[in-house]
Amino acid sequence: MSTAPVKEPEVISRDVLEPALPWITLVWNDPVNLMSYVTYVFETYFGYPRAKAEKLMMDVHTLGKAVVSLGTREAMETDCMAMQGFGLWATFEKND
Amino acid sequence: MARAFRRRGARMVARLDRNEREVVASLMEQTRSLLAPDVASTGDEFADLIASLEWGETPEGMPRGTDPGDRDPALARLLPDAHRGDPAVAAEFRRLTEQDLRRRKSDALTTSIGALRATDDRDRLSLDPDTAQAFLIALTDTRLLIGERLGLRTEEDVDAWEARVEADPDDPLAYVAALYDFLTWLQDGLVGALMGRRAFPDV
Repeated sequence: MSTAPVKEPEVISRDVLEPALPWITLVWNDPVNLMSYVTYVFETYFGYPRAKAEKLMMDVHTLGKAVVSLGTREAMETDCMAMQGFGLWATFEKND
Repeated sequence: MARAFRRRGARMVARLDRNEREVVASLMEQTRSLLAPDVASTGDEFADLIASLEWGETPEGMPRGTDPGDRDPALARLLPDAHRGDPAVAAEFRRLTEQDLRRRKSDALTTSIGALRATDDRDRLSLDPDTAQAFLIALTDTRLLIGERLGLRTEEDVDAWEARVEADPDDPLAYVAALYDFLTWLQDGLVGALMGRRAFPDV
């Protein structure tokens, strides 16, 4: 076990955190896409575990939309394009 | 009688008779005719990009086809605005991605139509993993197109439409409803087979 003195955790200011994940990809509810298919897309494209993919799918279904990924604008454009490629109703925006 | 997709090793296998295969293939062809890129692929990504930039803009500098007046509403659903609230961001995204998305979707449809028409007399539609993925996307885009033509924008629209068809089975839309339901059944079976769960009972 380490006997080194425990350092006080450094306070990470919001200024440092904010730029890391400044954009989000959203998927919106639509009456055509199957719940099973939406889960499948979240699982296969993002590599989310089944439980997380199902939770996001249910959020889309019941709340009307869900944030499916966060990151740089370029990364969100890539994710948004991929979701649209799968036929999901996806948009991206700044994470305010 | 159709049988839903099931996993057979790495392949996804369904049974569809000739008539069923041809109906699905022709619906996919209609979807492809709407989605096909404005500029045919040259097989060279860079050349494709240049071509889409050159031909994809009007003299005013506005990306072609983004004027709501000259755009099929089904296209707006298949290739939706990627930003709500900032038309400039949406237009820029469209300029950068639309031709590529159209080409990918068209390719998935072409692959799927080919698989349907190559199926032998034993009515066994057998898809390798890549083709199964293309088939899922082709079914999605085809259902989105039919859904848009039927005005299915909300869950309430779907309920109202189902009630209408139930009330009058002779409604011409009942046939479209049957096609839509068939594609839904086919897709749910394929997703289920890919995800490792039992599909709905056979129709």
